[in-house]
Amino acid sequence: MNRALHAEWTKLRTVAGTGPLLLLAVVLTVAMGAALAATLTCPWGRCAQDSVKLTFSGLPVSQACVALLAVLAVGGEYGTGMIGTTLTAIPRRGRVLAAKAAVVAGLTAVAGTVAVLASALAGRLILPGRGYPALSLADGPTLRAAAGSVLYLALVALLGVGIAMAVRDPAASIAAVLGLLYLFPLLAHMVSDPGWHRVLWSLAPMNAGLAVQTTVNVASLPIPPWAGLGVLAAWSAAALLAGGLLLRARDAS
Amino acid sequence: MEATIEVTGLRKRFGRTVALDGMTFRVPPGRVTGFVGPNGAGKSTTMRVILGLDAPDEGRALVGGVPYRSLEEPLTRVGALLDAGALQPSRTGRDHLLWLAHSQGLGAARVDEVIGLVGLGGTARRRAGGYSLGMRQRLGIAAALLGDPPVLMLDEPFNGLDPDGIVWIRGLLRSLAAEGRAVLVSSHLMSELEGTAGQLVVAGRGRVVADMGVAELIEAASHDRVTIRTTARSRAMETLAGAGATVAVTGGDTVTASGPPAERVVELLTGGGVPFSEVTAHRATLEEAYMELTRDAVEFRADGAGR
Repeated sequence: MNRALHAEWTKLRTVAGTGPLLLLAVVLTVAMGAALAATLTCPWGRCAQDSVKLTFSGLPVSQACVALLAVLAVGGEYGTGMIGTTLTAIPRRGRVLAAKAAVVAGLTAVAGTVAVLASALAGRLILPGRGYPALSLADGPTLRAAAGSVLYLALVALLGVGIAMAVRDPAASIAAVLGLLYLFPLLAHMVSDPGWHRVLWSLAPMNAGLAVQTTVNVASLPIPPWAGLGVLAAWSAAALLAGGLLLRARDAS
Repeated sequence: MEATIEVTGLRKRFGRTVALDGMTFRVPPGRVTGFVGPNGAGKSTTMRVILGLDAPDEGRALVGGVPYRSLEEPLTRVGALLDAGALQPSRTGRDHLLWLAHSQGLGAARVDEVIGLVGLGGTARRRAGGYSLGMRQRLGIAAALLGDPPVLMLDEPFNGLDPDGIVWIRGLLRSLAAEGRAVLVSSHLMSELEGTAGQLVVAGRGRVVADMGVAELIEAASHDRVTIRTTARSRAMETLAGAGATVAVTGGDTVTASGPPAERVVELLTGGGVPFSEVTAHRATLEEAYMELTRDAVEFRADGAGR
C-alpha cells in the first residue's frame, strides 16, 4: 500500500494541473471570504450576521477547483488510457482506488488548511473594522467552522475521485460532480412544500456539508452542523464504494 | 519464478463479437516468440488478459505459474508494453518512469538506467505530449525493462520506429532472450520478426492457427520447389519428368520442378547432359509462409469479401 501511495503521489505532483488548481482554490477561498467580510454591516447597531460563515464563504466557489483536481486525477487516466499502465503496476484494484483517494484528499486537506487559516487571518484583520469581534479560532463554533471547512474540501475531493472512477469519462465526471454540488440545491428551491424543502436541503451535499460553517442561529438549520458534514461524507463514501465496485467488476478500460 | 507465459483455452466476447475463441499457447524462456496474426485476431486482447486487465469469459492465463493479479511488485516479474500512447501529455517521460518505479519500490537510479538503455537521453526530461511515436515506443520499452523482469511482453513494438530503431529493437529482443527471458512480441507484419523470433504463434479469429519454430514453418511453406534456368527447356522438362518430378514452365528460360531436392535435380540434369545456368531451391520467406497459414483465418480479405 505504501508503494501505491508513493506512486500516486509522484503522479499527482508531476502532472501540470495540480499546482495551479490548488493555488486557485486557496486564492478563491481567501479572496471571496475577505471580499464578503468587508461588506458586513451592523444594521440598527445590531451586529447579528454570521461573520464566521461569511469569512469562509469562498468554499462554494473554490470547491470546483478541488472537484476538478480529483476528477482529473482519475478521469485523466481513462482519457489517456494510462489506467491500463496503472493497473498493470498495481493489479490490486482496491489498492489503486484507496491510494488515489488518500493522496488526492490528503493534498486537498493541506491546501484547504492553508486556505482556511489564511481566511481566518483575513477575518481577524477585517472584521473589527466592520463592528464585529476579531475572528478567533479559540472560539468553539469558529474552530468547528474552520476545521469543518477543511474536511468539507477533502470530502469533495473524495466525492470527485469516486464519481470519476465510476463514470470514467473526464467531461461526464466533471458534469456529474458539479451537477450534484450546484444543481441539487436548486432542486430544493423548486419544491414549495416546507417539509420536503427541508429534506432536500438536508440531502444536498453542498448545503448540508456547509452547515458546518454556521455559527449563528445554529438551531434554525435544517440539519445540525456535524450531521450536515456527515451527509456529505455519506455521499463521498457512496461514490467511492460505487467507483470501487465498478473498478473491480469491469475490464480495465 | 519460472520465466513462462501459459495461456489456456481463453474465450472472450465483446457484445456479439468473439474476440478470443479458445486461445491456447505457451511462451518458453530463452527465445523470442512472435505473436502474429491479422488485425482483430485477438493478440492485444490476449495480452490484456495475461496482464489481468481484461477478464476472460473462460480459460486462464498464468505468468510463471501464477495469475498476474496475484503478483506483488508485478513489474519485476513481467514487463509489458501495450499502448505506447497511453501517457499523460503534461508529464515528462522521466516522471512517468519515476511513478512506475515508485509503485514497485524502485528508485530514481533505476529510472535513469533504463532511460540510458533505450537511448532516450535528454528527451526524457521533456513533456511526453511532444514525443514522436518512436520516442513513445522507446519510453514504453524503458517502462517494460524497468523492473528487470524475466518475462517480457511487447505489443507491436516496431510501430513508429525508424529503420535504426527497428534494428536496435531486434538486437535488444534477441539479447533479452539470450539472457534466458521469455519474450513475447506481437506484430501484424511478419517481416519485422524475420531473423528475431525463434518461435511463432500465429493467431487468427481468436485462436491459434499455428504454433511452431520459424525454421519449421518456412520449411513447410517451401514445398521443395526448385527453379531451373536453362536454354534447353524442353529437354530439361523431359529429363526431370522422367525422374518423377512435377514440372512447370515459369518463364522463357525457367522451369520449376517439385519433388526431388535441388541436389538431385543437378544430378539428373548433369547426367542427361542438359545445360543449365542456375538451379535454385525455392525458399519461402517468413511472410509467404505466414500468408499461406492465415489465408483461411483472415476475417476480411483485401478484396472486401468479408465472411
